[in-house]
Amino acid sequence: MEKVVKLQIDGKEVKAPAGMNLIDAAELVGIHIPHLCYHKGLKGVGACRLCLVEIEGMKSPVIGCNTKVREGMVVHTKTDKVQEIRKFVIDLILSIHPLDCMTCTKAGMCNLQQYAYEFELKETSFTRKKMGYPVDETNPFIRREPEYCILCGRCVRLCEEQGTKVLEFMGRGIESMVGTAYNKPLLESGCTFCGSCIDACPVNALPEADRWRKGREWEYEKVKSVCLLCGNGCGIIVSSKDGRIQKINTGEEIGSAKKYICAYGRFGYDYIESETRLKTPLKRTDGELKETTWKDALSIVADKLKKAGRGAGFISVAGIMNEDALTLKKLAKNVVKTKNFDTTISLYADGDSLKNSQTAIISTSDLIVLVGLNPSQWERILPALDASIRKRVNRGAKLIVINSSDIKIEEVAIINLKGNEISNLKGIAKALIGKGLKADRKLESSLKDVAITEEIEKAAKLIIEASEPLIFSSPSLFEASANIALIKGKVIAVGFESNARGIALMGLTTDGKTYKEMLNDGLKVLYAVGEVPLNKRPNTDFLIVQNSHLTELAQQADIVLPSATFFEYAGTIVDYLGRLKHLHRAIEPVGESKSHGDIFIAISKIMGATIKKSTEEEVKKASQVKTKLASKPFVRKEGLDISPNELIESINRSVIHGSRLLWLKEAVGATAA
Amino acid sequence: MEDELLEQILASFKGERNELVPILQEVQDNLGYLPEKAMLDIAKFVGVPESHVYSVASFYAQFRLLPLGRKRVAVCRGTACHIRGAPQILSTVVKTIDLKEGETSDDLEYTLETVACIGCCALAPCIRINREVSGDMTPEKAKGLFLVKEGGGEDVE
Repeated sequence: MEKVVKLQIDGKEVKAPAGMNLIDAAELVGIHIPHLCYHKGLKGVGACRLCLVEIEGMKSPVIGCNTKVREGMVVHTKTDKVQEIRKFVIDLILSIHPLDCMTCTKAGMCNLQQYAYEFELKETSFTRKKMGYPVDETNPFIRREPEYCILCGRCVRLCEEQGTKVLEFMGRGIESMVGTAYNKPLLESGCTFCGSCIDACPVNALPEADRWRKGREWEYEKVKSVCLLCGNGCGIIVSSKDGRIQKINTGEEIGSAKKYICAYGRFGYDYIESETRLKTPLKRTDGELKETTWKDALSIVADKLKKAGRGAGFISVAGIMNEDALTLKKLAKNVVKTKNFDTTISLYADGDSLKNSQTAIISTSDLIVLVGLNPSQWERILPALDASIRKRVNRGAKLIVINSSDIKIEEVAIINLKGNEISNLKGIAKALIGKGLKADRKLESSLKDVAITEEIEKAAKLIIEASEPLIFSSPSLFEASANIALIKGKVIAVGFESNARGIALMGLTTDGKTYKEMLNDGLKVLYAVGEVPLNKRPNTDFLIVQNSHLTELAQQADIVLPSATFFEYAGTIVDYLGRLKHLHRAIEPVGESKSHGDIFIAISKIMGATIKKSTEEEVKKASQVKTKLASKPFVRKEGLDISPNELIESINRSVIHGSRLLWLKEAVGATAA
Repeated sequence: MEDELLEQILASFKGERNELVPILQEVQDNLGYLPEKAMLDIAKFVGVPESHVYSVASFYAQFRLLPLGRKRVAVCRGTACHIRGAPQILSTVVKTIDLKEGETSDDLEYTLETVACIGCCALAPCIRINREVSGDMTPEKAKGLFLVKEGGGEDVE
């Protein structure tokens, strides 16, 4: 249990966990200590001098961001003395800041504006200085307006902590500014365009590139949801106005840098309205796809499925929600009565590894072991995992990388074990047992002839010393990794799609043919759900494609059903860490598109069966699987070796090609060439 | 040539973070300025991001991020020169060689600087080009110091 400290802030009793700073402690009782450079989730640096407070028994004011709570402390946050200092600070900052709040995008959200208002500063009492810095408009994601910058350094520290390290202070004194190496455009500076700096900026120095005139903060309707574009399933807050999404931020409340989202999650939403978006069902007549009604399309689908029965197959992506998955399984199993229903998870994982994964929290782990995984913000493979690990390492956690290939994240690892992953895992298990940790007999005896290197010895020592070791494994190496977790720690198999774990828990794993088999086995009817990674029509008599966009595959289908995107209906997923996450409807479905689940329900109704809408209770029941790890042989599961880059790009093709992300793909391709 | 020199310089350091400034100084002493490529190599060598190297290099006035021109033109703005017309001299030079204070021409012919005092106030106003000081300047005379540039540049049309 964390120790609790009692103190007094402005006459109020506060109970705060030991180690908390005064700004956060004051917030527990609703007292706001003004601050600009401090940002929740980042270390305090005490640069802005706004958070000065007075503590009884101390001569001069101290900074709240870097002073920790102590038993019996008596703090005053609003004395005349500190208020005067704060007013002076704001007065100074205003002398180098444009006073154009009436047209500024950030108005209403701007911390500087708020403090100027509080301290009754309409103007600066100093001579105003205009620096005349150019605006950086070289990319469609992040606009840099140094003229607004108040040099708080939040973006600099955030960019550094998450490992991108693009932004830094340049120059000195009044002429210092936040910039990139050699003042190059962001694209040439290794920027991944995650936009974390946008969320961190307290003023208008780093807005979204297209944000101007897209509405002020108070005009937006805000909805909490989850991004379903990759295996991280990050929390997001979707801001919309007039029925259209205007911007997306991280799922954390404003004023915190605790969470991360990547460029896909933040800027990919343009695809909702892209040219290829499907608005009505399509039916092939005289060799061409033509618009038709739902009634017509669904009756054809129902008829085909009924006739095919066992000869029908369903393939789906794992980026659909739990409720969709449950309904799809009922449609396939109970109504169509086929055993063939499988998803893209089978390309990189087996259901058991995902189901048996444990639940864990990255932010408290002190040792992370990465087995056979290559999370990378730069390649946008599990970018949030990469960012979280780097942040943890910055805060003192250690990282062990076990990977036969060279990967970027090993630059922050304390130990890199190269060569075959399986033999390294075996070595670690043996070393752990050798150091006195208990293990299953069978496991122990299987390790007789295993060699232990010095590096393996070191890794084992770190695992023993750690209080919360956490192993992230590629699904193909899960059982081998789980053998370590059986001795010590927790283990999680990380899939590449947002709801991979949920899909496995909901039981949408085949009883008959696998995903790959269904593509080649000449099924009577093949029903593809979501943006499956296929360009060529599989071998089937009748192809149904249900997706939000007209993909290459959809163009070769016999029936195309328009599904809603994850912004357009509510549901849940289970993320890679085992958390049940809720998606809420941010906007109305475009055109006549419907949620996957609703389409399945409508089909079964025509087929004469009733499927009820899946409820949260049903999802919860399905996801409450008691995980029990059992020792298994140290082997790598074969056939699960799809390239994650290709998979993620393929299942997001419509997102990338229907949004400004295409600029990034082409620009990165051009610089690489 | 530059690469070899840089390699030699780096070889005499351990590659620790606290060596960044001494390395930058040594590189500048040898190359005359801090080329981009050198900063990238230095960043890798001491294990810090490129943005950090640039941040440090841009913080200290001693570091130059651009090469100097072959002719370093220093216009004196000391008190004596100032009252005898240094502002007019400076604006003449600015117009003549088409450079602002602190800039270097693309062909690396000139770098224009201003100094607080050259130390020959009796000759005010004065200009120093590399080591040679010219005193009793008038705008006309100042122009004369840069005839070649003017003939080749502005008079072509």
